[in-house]
Amino acid sequence: MIEIQHLSKSFGHPVLRDVTLSVPAGCLYGLIGPGASGKSLLLRMVTGLMRPDTGSVTVEGQDVLAMTELELASFRLKFGMLFQNNALFDFMTVAQNVAFPLERMFELTPDEIRDRVDERLAAVSLSGFGERAPVGLSGGQKKRVGVARATVTRAPIIFYDEPAAGLDPVTSQKIFDLLRAEQQHAKTTVIMVSSDIERLLTVTDRVGMMYRGALVFDGTTDEALTSEDRYVKQFVHGLMDGPL
Amino acid sequence: MGMDIERAADDESGGVAGIVGRRALQLVSAGREQYSVLVRTMYYVARGKMEGGVLARQMYEIGNRSLFLLTVVMGFIGTILVLQAGLQTRRVVPDLSMLGASYLELLVRDLSASIVALMLATRVGAGIAAEIGSMVVTEQVDALRMCAADPIDYLVKPRFLASIVMTTVLTIWSGGVSIVTGMITADVVFQVAPKTFWNLSLVHASDLFICLVKCLAYGAAIPVVSATSGLSTFGGSEGVGWATTKAVVNSSLAVIILNFLISSAGLIAFS
Amino acid sequence: MSTPLVAVAFSPFARARDSFMALAATIGEMGIVALRIMSRLWRLDLDGRELMRNMYKMGVKSLSIVVVTALFTGAIMVVQAAPIVKRYGAQQLLGWGAGFGTLREIGPLLTALMISGRVGANNAAELGTMTVTEQIDALRALAIDPVAFLVVPRFIAMVTTLFLSTLYADALALLGAAYAGQALIGVEPMTFYNGLVSGLLGVGDVMNGLVKSVIFGIVIGLSSCHFGLSVTGGAPGVGRAVNATVVASAAGIFIVDYFVSFILG
Repeated sequence: MIEIQHLSKSFGHPVLRDVTLSVPAGCLYGLIGPGASGKSLLLRMVTGLMRPDTGSVTVEGQDVLAMTELELASFRLKFGMLFQNNALFDFMTVAQNVAFPLERMFELTPDEIRDRVDERLAAVSLSGFGERAPVGLSGGQKKRVGVARATVTRAPIIFYDEPAAGLDPVTSQKIFDLLRAEQQHAKTTVIMVSSDIERLLTVTDRVGMMYRGALVFDGTTDEALTSEDRYVKQFVHGLMDGPL
Repeated sequence: MGMDIERAADDESGGVAGIVGRRALQLVSAGREQYSVLVRTMYYVARGKMEGGVLARQMYEIGNRSLFLLTVVMGFIGTILVLQAGLQTRRVVPDLSMLGASYLELLVRDLSASIVALMLATRVGAGIAAEIGSMVVTEQVDALRMCAADPIDYLVKPRFLASIVMTTVLTIWSGGVSIVTGMITADVVFQVAPKTFWNLSLVHASDLFICLVKCLAYGAAIPVVSATSGLSTFGGSEGVGWATTKAVVNSSLAVIILNFLISSAGLIAFS
Repeated sequence: MSTPLVAVAFSPFARARDSFMALAATIGEMGIVALRIMSRLWRLDLDGRELMRNMYKMGVKSLSIVVVTALFTGAIMVVQAAPIVKRYGAQQLLGWGAGFGTLREIGPLLTALMISGRVGANNAAELGTMTVTEQIDALRALAIDPVAFLVVPRFIAMVTTLFLSTLYADALALLGAAYAGQALIGVEPMTFYNGLVSGLLGVGDVMNGLVKSVIFGIVIGLSSCHFGLSVTGGAPGVGRAVNATVVASAAGIFIVDYFVSFILG
């Protein structure tokens, strides 16, 4: 479904080294790794927000890198994305934020748009928050608006970049459970980047681990938990000694 | 690539020619980006579609927020110019009856549009770069792209149109203000009657045309240059400060260079 | 009773009054910065190495912009004067016309505006970032006077940079004007030069412009140091400070220009 082949990128120093992995359809794929290992960059490459130096990205059989910006614009109908810092449009209300992708992408009537927005806000337990401004919301609330906006178009592929960053443990778990429920209900393909290994591994089907721009592990969740690879073992179990 | 050219431009060999050459290279590479932004903006302008309130809000932002500053500045300029011109002319020729005529000619042909543009390059240029730059560092611009909204269409186009309109409006207003203050100065300091001052004999249709062209060109250049700086922000919130500085400097330079080009073209065409 | 109050609050007069009060407050604060600087200067209490470093940095940063601005400005002066020259056939007066405008007004003014945009904004951003990252407090904790160490050298460097740049810009603008005169309306450089030194323009005109440049430097220096050091609200506050510096400098430059022209004229 998503095929990444030999992706490399360098900004004077290499930030992605020959990354190859594939994400099957309907899979919830977790991407883990220490800071600055290239996880967010990889997400940007798949969505076409950034171009690699070499390699290819194929999504549902189509070559992302061969597209022009205009073609990408319509191709992104297939995507929904939650950004690391939410990236909510601070000059719009919550409801306008969630409605925004719908208005751009489809020919829906205003009533249909409103219904979908209400449904999404209810799904993330934020009913009634429609007229609020993003700036006054708590971190958890902003995240949930972000999730609503990312899933409102019912796109088949969703990217979550650090969905629980900066949230307390209870809220984090709620977000992860919400995202898993979403994915199973809508049968979407999801790539989730997170530093919260413990919670992430409770919801993933497959896991990939990155270290300094290279992919050091790619397998099922069980394989990750029982792996004897030194890097993986240390990171997954949060151990003190090891190569990291 | 842009950053390497920036660094090369800070190297100092080659004397004056080297300096101008390096700055020209810098402007050229920035120019390519700006050209791309300009072309894409015009494409979206041609396509039409825009939400009603957005244009009005941008026009309000540009117009109302700069009005006070411009009125004060142009008022002062009116007095300064008439004062200086009067003093200098008196050294050569005692008769100041053409003072108003030549002042009006200069105002229409060049000063009103250019000074308004330089002030707007500062105010509006900084504002646009800061707004767009902040959106870049908080990933809102990426979020726009992910929602199939081209940032050029959504962010730059309204500011582009608003700037062209408001530059023209503000130029006319400021011209009026500085005519009034100039007239008062001429009367109080040089005893030139307002009726003598209001002498339109030297203001030709070609001057008005040049003024209009300048308003359009400046009005178009400032948002394009500033938005380019804003969109290429990097380095977090500190980067927004750099983008703002770059926008102000480059917008001002653009106004100066366009001034020269349009004035020269006008001189050659209309003489 | 509340309706008339509401009406007054939203009237444009109220807005103007608020702007005026804010303006007065800012000018007052800059005056305080000026006093602090003066007291250090009086005792010659400043960091020499910082002074040298800033002078070098500011001079180099503004050089290319000053050159480009000056050359084009000189050319523009000629383009504007051209119809008058043609009308009266007064080729000899081109040097005088371009010269007087450049030396007294345009040279100092445009140089100040461009340097305010580059150096002034830059300085505000640096000081602002230092304030936000608590480096100023760290200096105080090390018993180093931040004003003497940071502010005074930058202030002096800015005034000096502006003075030298205006001098340089005046020369380059006249050079640009001379070439534009030849290229566009066929006035020989020799004629242009004669027009300059014919006696209608004197050293007084040059000094007039240079005095202005020093005062503009003071405006830009005070503005950028004040807004830089009073940053609040983290990194976005730095952006706001940069914005405020550029706008305040520009307005200040024009207003001061008026008063100085009036007094010296």
